[in-house]
Amino acid sequence: MKRFIDHDELARDSRFIRQDGAANSVLATLPDDVDTVVDIFEQLAPMIEKATRGTAAEPLYEEYGPAYNLVVLNEPIHPDDPALVNRLRFRLHGILIGELQALEGASRSLWDFPEAPWEFKMNMARQAWDEARHVQIYEKLLQYMGGEIGDYPENTFLFECACSEDPAMRVAGVNRGLEGLACDVFRDLIRYAEKVGDDTIKQAVDFVLADEITHVRFGSNWVKEFTKDDPDYFKRTQEFRREVDKRFSFGGARSARADAAIPLAVQDRLEAGFTAEEIDEIGALSAGGPSRETLREAARILAERHRAKKAQQTQTAAE
Amino acid sequence: MSEQRLYPGSGQDERTSFAPYSAFDIPADLRTLHGRFDVEAVALRVRNWRYAEEWMMMIMGGWVATIPELPVKTGLGKIIWDSAVAADELGKRLPELRCGSKVGQFGSQPGNEGFAALIQEISSPESPELTIEKLTGIFDVLKPHLVDVYERFCTETDQICDAPTIILLEDITRRSRAHIAWGNTILDELCKDAASEQRRAKRRDELAAMLAECGGVTGEEAVVTH
Ligand SMILES: [Fe+2]
Ligand SMILES: [Fe+2]
Repeated sequence: MKRFIDHDELARDSRFIRQDGAANSVLATLPDDVDTVVDIFEQLAPMIEKATRGTAAEPLYEEYGPAYNLVVLNEPIHPDDPALVNRLRFRLHGILIGELQALEGASRSLWDFPEAPWEFKMNMARQAWDEARHVQIYEKLLQYMGGEIGDYPENTFLFECACSEDPAMRVAGVNRGLEGLACDVFRDLIRYAEKVGDDTIKQAVDFVLADEITHVRFGSNWVKEFTKDDPDYFKRTQEFRREVDKRFSFGGARSARADAAIPLAVQDRLEAGFTAEEIDEIGALSAGGPSRETLREAARILAERHRAKKAQQTQTAAE
Repeated sequence: MSEQRLYPGSGQDERTSFAPYSAFDIPADLRTLHGRFDVEAVALRVRNWRYAEEWMMMIMGGWVATIPELPVKTGLGKIIWDSAVAADELGKRLPELRCGSKVGQFGSQPGNEGFAALIQEISSPESPELTIEKLTGIFDVLKPHLVDVYERFCTETDQICDAPTIILLEDITRRSRAHIAWGNTILDELCKDAASEQRRAKRRDELAAMLAECGGVTGEEAVVTH
């Protein structure tokens, strides 16, 4: 078996639908300008549409057009949202995919770095089990909400971002970037569950969040250990983590901004070994994207154009 | 009544005041001293077993991403952790057997080159179509062999002097049996047609032959075919 695999080698059963991750990467580089955001999404539209066809996200595409992801990611989930159930399933499905890729990333670290210290292997093996349980937990939560695996497309964006061939970079990307994002997303989900009084979601996600804090702590410790005699190396891993964090901010949807859909889980991150400076820095990194107003306006224009295009197609077909 | 003997310098008042118990009160310890292995021989075996457990953990870690069946991915996650714990516990036993400082944290050592080659062969299936070949190596061949070896060792080693190794192996064996049962359920499910069953049998026979040829995990085992 070779060392290091590419993201398109991740094996899936026939329920899963693979989507190109380009749209997510683009989100990280969007400027705060409505016209540019609209242009970019119109260019990506055929690819997004293709990946959405036949999935439970199709009604979302029908409703919002190619920017349905903007709406889903950028608007906090509200109990009185008319698309609540579909959006909640969409988010749970996205988390399940993240857990699956985290399972694959942690497991792969055992094979990719055979010379790593024993304690590192122990941490990665433990993480593999934890992530495996997280996949099982989120599959159950998804079913609890009436969804199924494969309802929505999967992209391998997380695995792509995080799976470096250098062990310090790998843990910086996976355990601090990806797992840190998980802390933000799960804290947000717990807040939602508290708001609607759903103890099943709240308790399960709370346990998962406790595990994730442990995983971030593994990352915090191993980045320090791997780079302890080489300040330059440490700087490079911080650089890499910043890059990952920027891409994981989805154009400011996850940020410290007042209008963030997913706020930074500051207390959880502190407990996991992020320094206050690092947390400020992540906040600053993700603050650069377009404002929620820009994204809302872009999403509105895109949805309008999408509906106009559909109406025209229907008319042409009738003629 | 004759005066009881005392060590020079000790007095009557230092003798315990409890009467000796009889075999009727507490049954006698019937275990006998002297097992098949001395300290050094046990330490060497512990290193061989650790090699097998550590490599199983690493190989399964490599496979998770390339196996398409979701329950297999998640099931392996648990077994990866159990294997890591087994390797860790075995490693911690080494310093207790005067083997710690010599081998450090890397206490793993293959029984011989043949066993190392077997491990490489078990790790070789890579593509997503080969779940049967992957699982057969671990759950039909290697783990059942290790359970045989661990159980035999527990009956042969000194029951009092080497009790810490016995306790350790009993725990690993209990978990390994659960792993084998899980692996069998999955493999039975994946091998419902004749062609798949044949793939499983072929892989099992090839690896079992290699295992017998190299003398198992320590290089000295009489290998039982399952
Ligand atoms: Fe997780
Ligand atoms: Fe995690």
